[in-house]
Amino acid sequence: MSDHGAVLEDVRRGMVPAHIYNDEELYALEKERVFGRSWIFVAHESEVPHPGDYVVRRVVDDSFIISRDESGVVRAMFNMCLHRGMQVCRAEVGNASHFRCPYHGWSYKNDGRLVGLPFHGEAYGGEEGFRKKGQTLLPAPSLDVYNGLIFVSLDPQAPPLREYLGDFAFYLDLYTHQSPEGIELVGPQRWRVKANWKIGAENFAGDSYHTPHTDSSVVEIGLFREPKASKRKEGALYWAGSGGGTTYKLPPGTLDERLRYVGYPDEMIARMRTTWSDAQLRMVGDDGFMVSAASVFPNLSLVHNWPKVEDTESDDVVPFISLRQWQPVSADETEVLSWFAVDRNAPQRFKELSYKAYLMCFGSTGMFEQDDVENWVSITSTAAGSMARRLRLNNRMGLLADDKPVSPPLAHFSGPGVAYVGFGEYNQRAMLRAWADCLETPVAPPEPVDLGGTS
Amino acid sequence: MTSRSPGLAPAPRTLGRCLSFGDTRHLEAHQFLVDEAALLDTQDYDTWLSLLTTDIRYLMPVRVTTARGAGFDTAPGMAHFDEDHYSLSRRVARFATEHAWTEDPPSRLRHHVGNVRTFALEDTDDEVVVESAVLLFRSRGDVREPSLISAGREDLLRRDPCRRVPSAGHWMLARRTISVDESVLRTQNLAIFL
Repeated sequence: MSDHGAVLEDVRRGMVPAHIYNDEELYALEKERVFGRSWIFVAHESEVPHPGDYVVRRVVDDSFIISRDESGVVRAMFNMCLHRGMQVCRAEVGNASHFRCPYHGWSYKNDGRLVGLPFHGEAYGGEEGFRKKGQTLLPAPSLDVYNGLIFVSLDPQAPPLREYLGDFAFYLDLYTHQSPEGIELVGPQRWRVKANWKIGAENFAGDSYHTPHTDSSVVEIGLFREPKASKRKEGALYWAGSGGGTTYKLPPGTLDERLRYVGYPDEMIARMRTTWSDAQLRMVGDDGFMVSAASVFPNLSLVHNWPKVEDTESDDVVPFISLRQWQPVSADETEVLSWFAVDRNAPQRFKELSYKAYLMCFGSTGMFEQDDVENWVSITSTAAGSMARRLRLNNRMGLLADDKPVSPPLAHFSGPGVAYVGFGEYNQRAMLRAWADCLETPVAPPEPVDLGGTS
Repeated sequence: MTSRSPGLAPAPRTLGRCLSFGDTRHLEAHQFLVDEAALLDTQDYDTWLSLLTTDIRYLMPVRVTTARGAGFDTAPGMAHFDEDHYSLSRRVARFATEHAWTEDPPSRLRHHVGNVRTFALEDTDDEVVVESAVLLFRSRGDVREPSLISAGREDLLRRDPCRRVPSAGHWMLARRTISVDESVLRTQNLAIFL
């Protein structure tokens, strides 16, 4: 493998060698050093509400069964039979008390315990030949939950999730903790795009600069009143802990007025008032910033917008929240998993309209999304050639030649981390710095697991 | 959520209720679908919209892989399309702007429509249910692989009460449920209609 030191150095000074968006060697390294250690979102607890419920999700090439066992504990188990390696679960969603391997009939409880092993006595000589007792499907090396969001890490030494998220948790709450019971997650829509996984993650983290142009059609058709350039550049961009995002500046008003402007009904506003911290309420109510798109390193993104969803004379809008994962398939292909999220306590009518808002704007049919992906596919295919190895893309927006910011960070901002107003590629740089830090740091070789017989 | 049907695959219909292929209603319904495919191929969406009833429901559930006995094969509460006339009209209006980049340059589209069966309803002669298969070939640019979307459709056609719509037999599309044959779509977006 070549020395990527120069690439990482370029990335850190805000000059991005274009080939990083389509490079087999770097992708191999990403699988090992980014996805081999980071916390990766796999599911939300509301997707597996009852004992026996499961979904099957991947961390790059590794398939995991995310299941709620009979005692209510959520588990993530490597979807590979301990015997010959067959997938024990080939559905992607369902409810099961057991998973039975179709190859030789080994079966596992929904907590992963090996409970059925045909001809254990005759074939293996019982426990003496193969110790069945205590064997389980291989658990994900680390599993942790925040606001019901289930993450796994392939690193058994991963820091606690809350520590990994750091101050980004403050912003994550605004999407996923609008009432004490939090969100329910619906979906996902899944589709494959011929684009490198990093492009979407960077875009959601901080690219407010693209909205006035790429997404102008949705303003023209009266769906959305916000992304006009003047509006967009008044929003704050923040980076905190493992993630960052964009915000919109709301028109002047009280907290309630500002939340109503976004389309929240009063009963949801009342719950936000008692659920959010003073600083969270100040960021919306006093500073007037409302979260929009965001990314958590490496490949989880969120979005919150408020389009007009009904054909009425009024300008009433309805907010929606979406979570999405940029699941790498190869250096030049990504599977997008896009969910609709809504506060569990929201009124039924709000949930229905918010779902409609989501479908119109984001996801496989979303009108914002369609034009975004067209760009990312084009970048990826163009990044494959040798000219892309000569070109370093300028990722320095917001920085002067001497690395001083074009305008200083916001002095009065109620959220944690560093925030700027106006356009700038602060967050894209932060994402790629985190990426560079991972790539230059080897991961410890995994500890192999022996099963059964040898002592 | 109440407004969303679970989107199960269309219930199998008995052969006996299927109209003969020589029946006028079947011939009109078949022609409606072929004429519609030509509009969708050429992206003549304004004309297409004029063939939809104002209470149109246009639904494309998300298909999921489930065990044979699971009793469902779509993602509960989620769809790719779950549209009414307003949302479809916004999509069409967007394509008419100069900034719908994903279809500028436009895709080369071919909707192959087949397996058409028409079913009469007991209580009315002004509505029929039509099943069809559609295979969409979509090609963009000169580098990317083309994409294919295969789906079954169950449509409710309703005759325009004023007999003014210039479609075969004055039929209009009142409901469409698209049962796509992949759980993970292999196309960059659904900036197309099926």
